Parts: sequence; C-alpha cells; structure tokens
Amino acid sequence: MEYKEVVGRRRSIRYFQSWRPVEREKIQIMLEAARLASCAVNATFLKAIVVFRDDLDRETLEALKTPVSGLNIELAPVHIYTFVDMSAYRGAQGRLKKLVDVGALNITHGWSHKFVDEFVWPNILKPLAEGADQPSVAAAAASDAGIAICQAMLAGVDEGLGVCLSAFVAEPIKKILNPPDEWLPLWVLLAGYPAESWEAGGQRPRPPLEEIFFEGKYGNPFKPDPKVTERLKAAKMIQTPAPLPWRKEEIKALARMFGLPE
Amino acid sequence: MIPLERPLEEYASVRTWFKGLREQSSVEPAGDPSRLKLLWEFCAFVDLDPDQLVSACLLIKEGRETKISIKGRRAMAEKIAQFQTQSAEGDAAERRRRGNTVRSFLIHNGILLQSGIQT
Repeated sequence: MEYKEVVGRRRSIRYFQSWRPVEREKIQIMLEAARLASCAVNATFLKAIVVFRDDLDRETLEALKTPVSGLNIELAPVHIYTFVDMSAYRGAQGRLKKLVDVGALNITHGWSHKFVDEFVWPNILKPLAEGADQPSVAAAAASDAGIAICQAMLAGVDEGLGVCLSAFVAEPIKKILNPPDEWLPLWVLLAGYPAESWEAGGQRPRPPLEEIFFEGKYGNPFKPDPKVTERLKAAKMIQTPAPLPWRKEEIKALARMFGLPE
Repeated sequence: MIPLERPLEEYASVRTWFKGLREQSSVEPAGDPSRLKLLWEFCAFVDLDPDQLVSACLLIKEGRETKISIKGRRAMAEKIAQFQTQSAEGDAAERRRRGNTVRSFLIHNGILLQSGIQT
C-alpha cells in the first residue's frame, strides 16, 4: 500500500476477529518499523513486550482490563505492551559518537567526538540521564516513544491488520512480564484482523488544518491549497469522513456477533 | 420489590434510555416491548426502581462532580451477571439478551459497563 493510503486508512479498530491469530512475522514487521523510528540522541526510548493474548491465563487477562479498555483487550489477539525507558539517556555519549562515525552527525554541522565527550555529554545528556524524573525529560522521552509506536501502527495497517492503542492496568503486567523499574508504562498497542470493515465508519473528525497549524506566527493559519487537498483525496489519505451511512447498522451487526449490548 | 410509583416509561432514566436507543443505536424501543419487561424484572430482582439503578452506580457528593462508583458499578455488573445466568427461561442467546438489555439501559444512562464477548 502507498504511504499516504496507509495514513488515510488507519483507524482505532475496536472490534477484532478474536478467533484469528496474527502471523508472528507481521508483529516483527511492526517492531522493526518502531525500531527504525527517529529518536533524539539515538536513544531508543520505546521498549515493548509482545504478548499473544491466548498465552495469558484468564485471571491475568481480567486483571489487565480497565473499565474502558476491557473489551478491546479481550478481542485483540496480540498485545504489545509499550513502555518509555527512562534509562535510555544512559549510553547516549557512545551512541552519538557512533552517529559521528557513520556520517550522520558531521563536521559540516559542527559535530566531533570531542564535542560529544567534552560538551554534549557533561553539559546536556548527563544531567538529563541523572534527572530523568523531571517532567520535561519524561515528556521528551515519551514523545520519542510515541513516534516509534506510530510507525509500528502504520506498519500494522500496511500489513492488513487493525490496530488500537488502549490503556492497561500496569500492576499485573509488571508482575507477570517483569519489565525493569525504569520502564514507565505507556499504552498497549492492540493488533489483530479487524472484525469491522476497514473503514470503521469513516475517517474520524479532526479540526481543519488551518485551525491547528500556523504559518510565520501563531494566529496566522496555515492555509491549505485546495489542489493539494484534492491530490490527497485521490491518494486516499483524506477519506470520507465518519459517519458512513451504514455505520449504525454495522455496529448493530457487530453487537449481535459478539453478544454485546446495543 | 419496592412498588413502582409510576409506569416504567415515565422514569427519567427510562426516557434517557429510549432517547439513546433512538439516537445513538438507531433502535426504536417501542418496536420491542420485551425491553421494558426485562428491565422491570431486573428492578424486581434487585429491589430498585430504574432511577435508583442508575444512582446505585454513582458517587454523588454535594459540591463535587458526580463520579461513577467503582464499587457500585462492580456490584451492579455482578447483579446483572446473576440476573442473566440464573434465568431458567430460554437458551443462551435469550439469557444474554436479558443481561444486555439491562446493560444497555445503564450504558445509555452514562454508566460505562463492558460485559466482554458473549458468543
């Protein structure tokens, strides 16, 4: 699938074919997409533990559910528990020098081993590594983790899967999966084959471009070019907005199929 | 059971339910009178009227935002499960419908409940 269409087709899928397993290779593809995501100081803040739902015992599965996410967790055959690793700043000195060695950070932009060793590490990264509990540090790390999660989601959509981020109760996961203390829980990325149509009722409502993006200064809307908008519609990145006319009937059918309330 | 003061349809929570069924679920409640019958049976089962069913799931304190009561909702979910499984009437699908009708009533009244897959 073309990239723009992948972006356009992604929805938060909330009805999965709970009976249909997901090929392990598709999960690997999602993880590779996450691994290759952009990350500050070449630190991989995102860590994740893949769990195949059917490997969990009933009691554990129940314990993971929040009131809102319980059904999603039950329906999705694959759970990818994501964490932000607050220890990822450690070792950044060596990783930055590696970027210098491979020609990613160059003299043209002022980078050298000496700059990393004598300025970047002691003045910037070391304080970050030691102050990982500061809100700004946590926000930056979580932002990078989010970028990686997004790439995994899009890779999943490209593989024909449905994906959805859900909350989860961290305590039982900590108990059974034993993540290190420095991994802070983020979301569970649920994956499986959609039981609803891929349109899932249509593209979700979002504010118009010019309402959230600005040009030059705040308050000066970034005005979209209608020709570009048409191009994105043709490329299926901008799709028919929700609700599609048959969505309520689809929900009724799904409710009947899974024995859920209307 | 406490005597109902008026017909079920006149309770505010039942009106909210019907409105939600029409507007959110595209279901015409008048088309299926068994919904009200099941709600009435559940009211009798827990000895509460419809508005009290909703209130039992809430934490209402003066001067504070109303919250969903974790204990209240959990207790109600257990009662619904009992109401569903203890019924001697009908097959599994019918029993599921009994539980889901009550869940639907509460959900349309703002009480988030999830029963899980029931196939």
